[in-house]
Amino acid sequence: MEEYAREPCPWRIVDDCGGAFTMGAIGGGIFQAIKGFRNSPVGVNHRLRGSLTAIKTRAPQLGGSFAVWGGLFSMIDCSMVRMRGKEDPWNSITSGALTGAILAARNGPVAMVGSAAMGGILLALIEGAGILLTRFASTQFPNGPQISEDPSQLQPSPFGDYRQYQ
Amino acid sequence: GAMEGGGNSKGTGLGGLFGAGGVGYSHADLAGVPLTGMSPLSPYLNLDPRYLVQDTDEFILPTGANKTRGRFELAFFTIGGCCMTGAAFGALNGLRLGLKETQNMAWSKPRNVQILNMVTRQGALWANTLGSLALLYSAFGVIIEKTRGAEDDLNTIAAGTLTGMLYKSTGGVRGIARGGIAGLTLTGLYALYNNWEHMKGSLTRQSL
Repeated sequence: MEEYAREPCPWRIVDDCGGAFTMGAIGGGIFQAIKGFRNSPVGVNHRLRGSLTAIKTRAPQLGGSFAVWGGLFSMIDCSMVRMRGKEDPWNSITSGALTGAILAARNGPVAMVGSAAMGGILLALIEGAGILLTRFASTQFPNGPQISEDPSQLQPSPFGDYRQYQ
Repeated sequence: GAMEGGGNSKGTGLGGLFGAGGVGYSHADLAGVPLTGMSPLSPYLNLDPRYLVQDTDEFILPTGANKTRGRFELAFFTIGGCCMTGAAFGALNGLRLGLKETQNMAWSKPRNVQILNMVTRQGALWANTLGSLALLYSAFGVIIEKTRGAEDDLNTIAAGTLTGMLYKSTGGVRGIARGGIAGLTLTGLYALYNNWEHMKGSLTRQSL
């Protein structure tokens, strides 16, 4: 996979919105294809037609819901970057939780709390996986100063520069 | 010399601004300097320094990186942009429809709710439609670019045509044809608009 650098802030909202829409539409398309195929009358023709109808009606809707999530998440993320003046995993986790809470606001406070917890945990998992992946990659391909025998430079902090990949 | 010359393209203004680290002379200054002093040194140094400044920006790229971003890197941005544009225009359309539908109602809570429902429903509908169109277009564009191994306006037009055809593919042959033609027209116009300056230049060059 190519190295995928994120956009600078105001444009990141559009980018995340599009990524979320893609994810939702493609995932929803696959899911609805199977569901429509199974819920149709017997006969390959009927089944294919049912699957197509399900994709056409449901996949864009799921993409839209994902896009709302991604766009709102990114807006909060960018606001936090602006307010706190730094970009770190806590931003993403907080904005995930806030997004969950806001989107569940019409279902009452209990649903808001549950949704916020879901969002926060999900984003924490994603961020943790990203950090682990970066650390793994940096141990696989060490590109620091290799000639140097200076003992003070032998152990650079493993957290040193993961931020530049975010 | 050459590296500094490549960096700033736009002549005097940039040269004046970033003069501390870089060249520090403008075109006009350099043009007036007689170069006779250099020529005994070596004939290869007898250059007009104006040729060292190039018209395009130059960047030092890592090996294997492309100079411009490909379709894949732009795909998410395109989809997101289409989605947001669709949401905005859909909301406007919903406002229009809602106001029209509830024309003879008094300004009351049910009317507000009805208009608001219309706005959200239309906004979501347009956003979903435009977003899926952009998704299809980007997917086709990426596939065509990767299979052809080249990137130009032909890809744009082909991706647009295929998108239109696929989007209307449930409407029979006529629908497919209509969708294809719509996609072809829209992306063709976009490609024309994109290349307008270039084409105008070549046309005037031909007529001269």
